[in-house]
Amino acid sequence: MAKSEKKFEDKLSDLEEIVATLESGDVPLDESIKKYTEAMKLVKECDEELKTVEDKVNKIVSEDGNLKDFDVSEVK
Amino acid sequence: MSDKYLTISAITRYLKSRFDSDENLQTVFLKGEISNFKSHTSGHFYFSLKDENSKINAIMFRGSASKILFKPADGMKVLVTGRISVYEATGNYQIYVDEMLEDGIGNLYIAFEELKKKLSSEGLFDEAKKKKIPKIPKRVGIITAPTGAAVRDIITTIKRRFPSTETILFPTLVQGENAKESIANNIRKANEYDIDVLIVGRGGGSIEDLWAFNEEVVARAIYESSIPIISAVGHEVDFTIADFVADLRAPTPTAAAELAVPNVMDLKSHINNLVIRLNENIIKKVNYQKLYLDSIKNSFVIKNPMIMFDNKKQKLDLINSKINDLLIKNLDDKKERLNLLKKSYILMNPELIYKDKRNVIKNVIEKLELLNPLNVLARGYSITYLNDKSLKSINYVKKDDTVLIKVTDGNIKAKVLEIKEETHG
Repeated sequence: MAKSEKKFEDKLSDLEEIVATLESGDVPLDESIKKYTEAMKLVKECDEELKTVEDKVNKIVSEDGNLKDFDVSEVK
Repeated sequence: MSDKYLTISAITRYLKSRFDSDENLQTVFLKGEISNFKSHTSGHFYFSLKDENSKINAIMFRGSASKILFKPADGMKVLVTGRISVYEATGNYQIYVDEMLEDGIGNLYIAFEELKKKLSSEGLFDEAKKKKIPKIPKRVGIITAPTGAAVRDIITTIKRRFPSTETILFPTLVQGENAKESIANNIRKANEYDIDVLIVGRGGGSIEDLWAFNEEVVARAIYESSIPIISAVGHEVDFTIADFVADLRAPTPTAAAELAVPNVMDLKSHINNLVIRLNENIIKKVNYQKLYLDSIKNSFVIKNPMIMFDNKKQKLDLINSKINDLLIKNLDDKKERLNLLKKSYILMNPELIYKDKRNVIKNVIEKLELLNPLNVLARGYSITYLNDKSLKSINYVKKDDTVLIKVTDGNIKAKVLEIKEETHG
């Protein structure tokens, strides 16, 4: 988890929270717009993260404790 | 008439012959639990074998009995082979046991139940102690055999659902004598890596195959792991101690992978759904405000702003006229009062003011005259001073004191000859 900023999980729950507050109704207009833009920023970030579909290589711990690549297709 | 009734022996003998002629009963393999076991001095064993619903008598003659490798006791699960026949004296059927083995599986169950009770009482199964499985883990640790279907199912399922999840496999012995140590050690080793969730398990197998996951050392390793653990041992139906201790139990390795990572597709549609709700909400809100604004714009006053001024002007005139009236009225009042004052008697006869002033002064003077001590002297009175203080009472003077007497035309110095008390008026 090199990325310092918020984890995907937290961004998603923040997004859900904003939707819930906006839907609760009594948010004044300018506040709603501010929250809306914040939400759309989170959406973009979440989408970004889901798009990075680059397939992470699977690892296997060898005897000496180091990680080696593990090709699951070769499993007998 | 009596010949159709059989004797007891006759019917028993008949039954015995039926048992003995039935080849199914000549070599029977039975699995059951020993109860009311007695070993006779003759070396023969008398006991019965039971399961939840029924019981059968059993006898083992010394010959076979001496060959047993273990010491039978009540409650023991055993596997026996023997012949079933009728013992005529009691009329009971029984099994004449030739061979008896400990029922490995039966005893395993006993061990399982005992360990389960023990760990449960220690609180290893408490719901409250179970750790939360992260919704979207970055790195998943897998503790299972490096070969076979289980590891393949787990990894492929994870990759299918959330490709950017990293997986780390800890190749583990999942069967046989060393399995329990291998599993326990790998769980501890996994805790040294930066892993979000651990899948511990194996594919299907017999009760003996899965037995490593019922070992206490594995249960404790799972309990002490700070990384949340999903257990996936065997098929749906198999429940091992590991499953009870784990933070989450999955019926199969594939299910474990599904519980470990979310499906990207689900996440994407969830986010899209949130976007739709967001847009709907903001549009609704903006429209509402627009409508509200329009209604204000159309309001009468905004449409005809001058009207507002008109009635303001009107109001202003109203106020002005009021002010004028008031001023005029005020002025009249003042004038009227002035006239009244002018006509007042006193102002008409100013000298009166002096007159009564003069009278006032006159009688003040008269009063002063009266009080003037000097006049009092003129009328023959005198004031006596002792040590410069006027003498009012005999108590303040004694014989031979010198006093000063002030009369109208001078002072007299005198000496006190005599003091006599007498009150004057």
